[in-house]
Amino acid sequence: MEALKIHELLKERFADAVGEFNDGLEKGSTIEAGSIAEVAEFMRNDETLSFDLLMCLTGVDWDGYDENGKGKSVAILGYDENGEPEQSDRVAEGDFGVLYSLYSYKHGHKFTLTVRVARAGASVPTVSSVWTTANWHEREAYDLVGINFAGHPDLRRILLDDEWEGHPLRKDYVMPGTWQEVPMNGQPLAANPFSEDDVKLPGGES
Amino acid sequence: MSNVTGWADQDKVHDIKSELLEINMGPQHPATHGVLRLLVKTDGEIVDSVTAHIGYLHRCAEKIAEGNDYRQFMVYTDRFDYLAPMNMNFSWAVAVENMLEVEVPERAEYIRVICAELQRICSHLIAFGTFGLDIGAWTPLLYAFREREVILNIFEKLSGGRMLYNYFDIGGVRFDTPEGFKEEVIDFINMFEVKLDEYNTLLSYNKIFVERTADVGIITAEDCADYGCTGPILRGAGKPWDCRKDDPYSIYDKFDFEIPYGEGEMGTVGDCWDRYMVRIREMFESCRIVRQAIESMPEGPVMTDDLKRNVKVPAGSLYTRTESSKGEMGYQIISDGGSKPFRNKVRSPSFSNLHVIEKVGRGQMLSDLVATVGSLDIVLGEIDR
Repeated sequence: MEALKIHELLKERFADAVGEFNDGLEKGSTIEAGSIAEVAEFMRNDETLSFDLLMCLTGVDWDGYDENGKGKSVAILGYDENGEPEQSDRVAEGDFGVLYSLYSYKHGHKFTLTVRVARAGASVPTVSSVWTTANWHEREAYDLVGINFAGHPDLRRILLDDEWEGHPLRKDYVMPGTWQEVPMNGQPLAANPFSEDDVKLPGGES
Repeated sequence: MSNVTGWADQDKVHDIKSELLEINMGPQHPATHGVLRLLVKTDGEIVDSVTAHIGYLHRCAEKIAEGNDYRQFMVYTDRFDYLAPMNMNFSWAVAVENMLEVEVPERAEYIRVICAELQRICSHLIAFGTFGLDIGAWTPLLYAFREREVILNIFEKLSGGRMLYNYFDIGGVRFDTPEGFKEEVIDFINMFEVKLDEYNTLLSYNKIFVERTADVGIITAEDCADYGCTGPILRGAGKPWDCRKDDPYSIYDKFDFEIPYGEGEMGTVGDCWDRYMVRIREMFESCRIVRQAIESMPEGPVMTDDLKRNVKVPAGSLYTRTESSKGEMGYQIISDGGSKPFRNKVRSPSFSNLHVIEKVGRGQMLSDLVATVGSLDIVLGEIDR
């Protein structure tokens, strides 16, 4: 089914919860965060849609995104030349977003659902009861971007250490200076343990 | 028998207090294929539950992507699936080119397909060898590495690297093929197609091997869709679905090849043996593709002239997937129109393929769990990224 028809079908069924149609490289709809779980369930179970595969779930921090498409987004913070973490006075304010890339084995069509939530207390209902694979993908989005997935059965960090502080893929994330007393800015190179005299070339020449 | 007491006294067995035992399988364990930690709760020898703990190899690839331009990130893709770097390169190149809507020279496309298919053989050989090793068969690994060596030599002449190639580039490949490349590849294919029969005699139809793998770790096609399992897992579950055929990219629509799938020859559809056999048959199909590609490879440039050194991708977002040796490898790129991705999510096949172990592992014997993990053919480099 064509993406626009899928969008119209969703619009008919969920009315206000479905926002505008995204007609870019990737076709899809913007969905109101609160109703993503119902929309997902409908899309999976409806015979004409039957989106049985969640290919990818992406958490995004839209903070500092260049809306004009000129590549002028806010740069991420790294380390300065002394190896110290870069700091910024800018207050992050952009939304968080979640992208759901769906595919149907039965019909062979693709569709992308997009959700945006306000930064403060960002929470999106989980779709892990609809597609089990979302369980780990949502944990990853929670781990790296810091989006809460309401109703998730086991929302823990997945890639980073349980005691890690902050969410690295946020645009205002400040790199750690140390982690568990280990300096994170690189260490000075160790001195060569061999003296020049110890180095022997093959063939006996020194 | 009345005098016998102790273990053999059946009446007293139910009085023995038993409890679940928690065992860590990994992170350092020969049968976990890397730094994977499976927290297994066992009831005697029966697995009660499996929890996978990943992230030991996390290298912040997605964060690194945001600080590097599109061409620079190619070198990191090598490190995702370090057993199939060409496939990873391919995936990233296709993902960026789809957003740029740039045409790749035809010769480059052919070289890419040849590399990707040889790499698929390479990766499946490791899967074949280590799967045998997990089950207790030592010899197949040595055979697999012997043949893999030939491919690595071809790649070394092609790209300069043996393990990590960084050979593909946005808009083509970095160098043209060296002299004698065609002959070498054809020689390898001629040699290798015969070897597949040898593998079947050695391992596939070996009675001990079949007993260990048939009817073990059954994953249905529904589970695959639910858990997002793709690649040989999905095809092993009896669903002949392949990105190269059903969602074609590059020039795969020009080649004639079959998609092997599990039919439950030795037991049930979707058991370890089916998944294993799909890989063996895929190696044969890859040989067919390589042969066709070598025969019809045109002359010409291998790099497009339409791109500058610093690639600027138009604003927007796109999810592109390709078929790597492990399954569906995808990149969700969000661009702001600049030279660096605003967000780059890496969807790796093993990440989803491993997730299913939490379901299949339940209720198995502990030794079957090893077989099941082996049959999934995971690579931790792409799970942890």
